[in-house]
Amino acid sequence: MQPIQDKDFDQLFKNAFEDAEITPSRDLWSSIESEIEPKKKRIIPVYWLSAAAVLLITTVGFLVYQQQEVKPKQFANNVEPKVVKPVNEAQTVQNSEETITVPAEKLGQALPTTLKPAEGVAKITVKENIKTVEKQKIVTSPEMQKQEIVIAQVAQPKEDIKAKIEDAVSKVNQETVLASTSTVVKTDDVIGDDEQAESKGIRNVGDVVNLIVNKVDKRKDKFIQFRTDDDDSSLSSINIGPFKFGKKNKK
Amino acid sequence: MLAVCMRYAKDRMEAEDILQVGYIKVFQKIKDYRGDGSFEGWIRRVMVNTAIESYRKNLRSLNVVEIDEAYEQPSTGFDFGTLGMQDLMKVIQKLADGYRMVFNMYVIEGYSHKEIGETLGISEGASKSQLSRARAILKEEIIKMEGFGYATYTG
Repeated sequence: MQPIQDKDFDQLFKNAFEDAEITPSRDLWSSIESEIEPKKKRIIPVYWLSAAAVLLITTVGFLVYQQQEVKPKQFANNVEPKVVKPVNEAQTVQNSEETITVPAEKLGQALPTTLKPAEGVAKITVKENIKTVEKQKIVTSPEMQKQEIVIAQVAQPKEDIKAKIEDAVSKVNQETVLASTSTVVKTDDVIGDDEQAESKGIRNVGDVVNLIVNKVDKRKDKFIQFRTDDDDSSLSSINIGPFKFGKKNKK
Repeated sequence: MLAVCMRYAKDRMEAEDILQVGYIKVFQKIKDYRGDGSFEGWIRRVMVNTAIESYRKNLRSLNVVEIDEAYEQPSTGFDFGTLGMQDLMKVIQKLADGYRMVFNMYVIEGYSHKEIGETLGISEGASKSQLSRARAILKEEIIKMEGFGYATYTG
């Protein structure tokens, strides 16, 4: 009848608990499971959500900013052709009396202007297309000319205004020669310009993106470019550092 | 593993909480398991550490259970020799938190008094005195449960 030693007493407990197992409640595991799993699953969506949010905010921000910007720009585009107009009229008037009817329809009030200084002015004219000139040469009747030219210009693709200017500048010399030979040169560029001015507005998402990118990215190869010649835009080029895709914009 | 947690907790609910937190820790730190020693032993260590952490976290918010309170719990109907793990668990759970921690850590997990003192933030002497006090309480409690003989005398 010895009092139990501390060591033995401890051993008693140790033995009792050595392999002791108690079955936990049945729903304990499910609560553990629910704590473990969502954390892993949530990681990715949070990143995606934040990325999407950033994209959305920047897009909307630029849209608002850009809408404020675009209006004056369109104005500027509209002004350009108007400047050209009188020159064209003068030219046509100078060229021959036969074609008087054409400008009369479009800009009646410009008609009575003096015809004398027109020769000088004609040389200044920038917006002239060689194609139309050639066609005019072939067709003799003034009425036919009208139609031909109109058709030709309608058929003209809505090219970039810059491209057109460059085109025209390169052909200025030829034009002036033609003008001096006093062939019947009728210029309906007014119509063409007006159309262009309209088409230069924002027609689709591609235009918006291009505008934004042009503002932000001054490189030759833009970060991203859309081709927006036709009504629907398509991705034409991407330039993200080492990764480049697509042909350069045809500017 | 719940048995391990039960020894450190004052009731089953607390034990299951510890078990849950412990298992979540196991899954989060599974890559830290170096493979030396048994995996069960590793999980057990995680559980014990979780229990200790939980104890330290609750140290201030828990009201200290009066030792006398434990004595007032009547326990009847246990025959000599049938005193099993469940009964010992009950006795341990009745201990005050501080005594229970020291007793568990020293007796069953095999920590030294120095380690216990460092882990629980008490002195080595305090650990020793708490252990002997815990033993005394447990013995008395078992005597109450068993009647004479089991805890007091070898046999």
